[in-house]
Amino acid sequence: MSTLEAIDVSKVYATRGVVTHALAHIDLIIDEGEFTALAGPSGSGKTTLLNLLGALDEPSEGRIFLDGECLADLNSAQLSELRLRKLGFVFQAYNLIPVFSAAENIEFVMELQGVSKTERRARTLELLKEVELEGLGDKRPLEMSGGQQQRVAVARALASRPRVILADEPTANLDSKTAERLLELMYELNQKRGITFLFSSHDPLVLEKARRRVLLRDGRIDATEEG
Amino acid sequence: MRHVAKVALLDSIQAGSEIRMLSMMRMAWRNVGRNPRRTGIVVTSVAVGMAGTLISVAIFYGMMSQMVDNAIRTDLGHLQIHARGFAEDPTIDLLLKDGGQKALRSLEGDPAVRAFAPRIRGEGLVTSPTASVGIRVIGVDPRREREVSMVADSVIEGDYLGEERRALLGQGLIRRLGVEVGDKIVIAAQDLSGNMTGEAVRVGGIFRTPSAALDRGTLFLSIDETGRLFGLGSDISEIVVVADSRERGPELQARLAAALPDLEIRRWDELRPMLNSIMAVMDFMAWGLYLTIFVAMSFGIANVLLMAIFERIREIGILLAVGLSRSRLVVMVITESILVTLVGLLAGFALALLTLFLLGDGINLSAFSEGLSAFEVGNQIVPVLTQENFTIPTGVALLTALLASAWPAVRAVRLRPAEAVRHN
Repeated sequence: MSTLEAIDVSKVYATRGVVTHALAHIDLIIDEGEFTALAGPSGSGKTTLLNLLGALDEPSEGRIFLDGECLADLNSAQLSELRLRKLGFVFQAYNLIPVFSAAENIEFVMELQGVSKTERRARTLELLKEVELEGLGDKRPLEMSGGQQQRVAVARALASRPRVILADEPTANLDSKTAERLLELMYELNQKRGITFLFSSHDPLVLEKARRRVLLRDGRIDATEEG
Repeated sequence: MRHVAKVALLDSIQAGSEIRMLSMMRMAWRNVGRNPRRTGIVVTSVAVGMAGTLISVAIFYGMMSQMVDNAIRTDLGHLQIHARGFAEDPTIDLLLKDGGQKALRSLEGDPAVRAFAPRIRGEGLVTSPTASVGIRVIGVDPRREREVSMVADSVIEGDYLGEERRALLGQGLIRRLGVEVGDKIVIAAQDLSGNMTGEAVRVGGIFRTPSAALDRGTLFLSIDETGRLFGLGSDISEIVVVADSRERGPELQARLAAALPDLEIRRWDELRPMLNSIMAVMDFMAWGLYLTIFVAMSFGIANVLLMAIFERIREIGILLAVGLSRSRLVVMVITESILVTLVGLLAGFALALLTLFLLGDGINLSAFSEGLSAFEVGNQIVPVLTQENFTIPTGVALLTALLASAWPAVRAVRLRPAEAVRHN
């Protein structure tokens, strides 16, 4: 069953009269439980496609469906709710909220969902354990290493119990050992919980781990590799 | 069963909404504290603005309150009772018959009445060896007048009324006549029949009140001598009434008006409408002050919030990406603005109260005494702060904070999450 589906999606940016075709006529289906990477050189449209699939941006043409629901039919509040309930994001630069501790960063998403304090606390501890950050919940992002911050970001993405986690260059700022451990963690989550993972990356480690690779070039799907 | 489920769902939505609001408040509070220097500047500007406003308003209202109190305590009382027509044309022939016995009976025993005193009010000419001055002659019952007026306590030389053929004059009038205590003066007036009449008296005492008009043009005499001077017999011009408090004036007025339908009962603000106009002007000035200060403050708040938003573009992108709705983002920005303003307001209140406490018995403005006495204001101004002095500027300040946060909030809401998360 398809979780995410892009039908004939194009994205055009026009800045000061300069028109850039970031994506052109993309058709893509991501099924439930996939561990897929969008690959390609810089400027190939990986992040743009990830943003469109994650309802962070709107396509210039075409339609995107999440669990059968067309994103273009949703208003701003409904899109926020959809991101809150069904999607999780992991970014290249960790992007944690600096005024919150690691635990608070994780809890915040659950707070937005209206989860009770007791349940939030329990789930946060569980997530910290899962990403191997037990005992570091009180630390603020700036007091943690890059790898630790990225694991908090993964835990935050998991906190909302999403259907899909979209990870934009999650290993780009990490050394290879830390990157490998992070990928292993995400792979386990995919296997154990069946969460769909979609990466945008040109990191060979990620591409090697992905079960499917969608290769983008100049805003178009160039090839798809499996295995 | 369905109803129970619906109630449970509504409860859960409400609980969720409270959690989200608390979460927004917590984040706003942390954001306020993340740049202490910048927050400190805004808090200081709000605090100083608030304290300055409160102190200025307290002084304004202190002056105004003193002006009204002095007018009440030197001349007007809270109410005055006259014969009908006196308000329109206050001539000597409009009298309360038999010493105003009917009115006096209505006043006795009224729970809102603290004191009352009969008076005769007429005009005349007082002559000394060197000058003649047109004056207001007020005949009073010395014992009762003490209870309604501060004049007895304002005697600076000689004695208050009591002795036969002794008059009490204001310091300004004494200077104009060039006399002193013990000197002889002659009062000339027109009696009730229209005949010229006169009385030679001695200066028994000199008074000085905060009212320059009273001091320069008023002569007090005993009510019996004044009655003889004007040929009034036992009739009087007015009864001055002091109520328990200024606030009880209207209630007492209504009661007396019902009991004495053939007489005129007027409150202090009806007797001297200018006081009301001055109070209205003061209120207007206070509002002007609030608005000026807080509008200036709003630019500071808006500027700081905008800077905070520009510094946090990436973070706002993340919040939107993880599912924060735009409406909650607006709530967060507004909450930050209101929190900073609230902290500033509290600091401002503390600063104002401390300053006013240190001012203690008031501010000595004796250097401006001549000018102040024209407005019946004394040399020592005691600042007055009412509950309204806190609530109105607080309301204005919070409204300002709300408006000041509108622009930054709009800027935040317009951010596109996809671009914001990649902002450097």
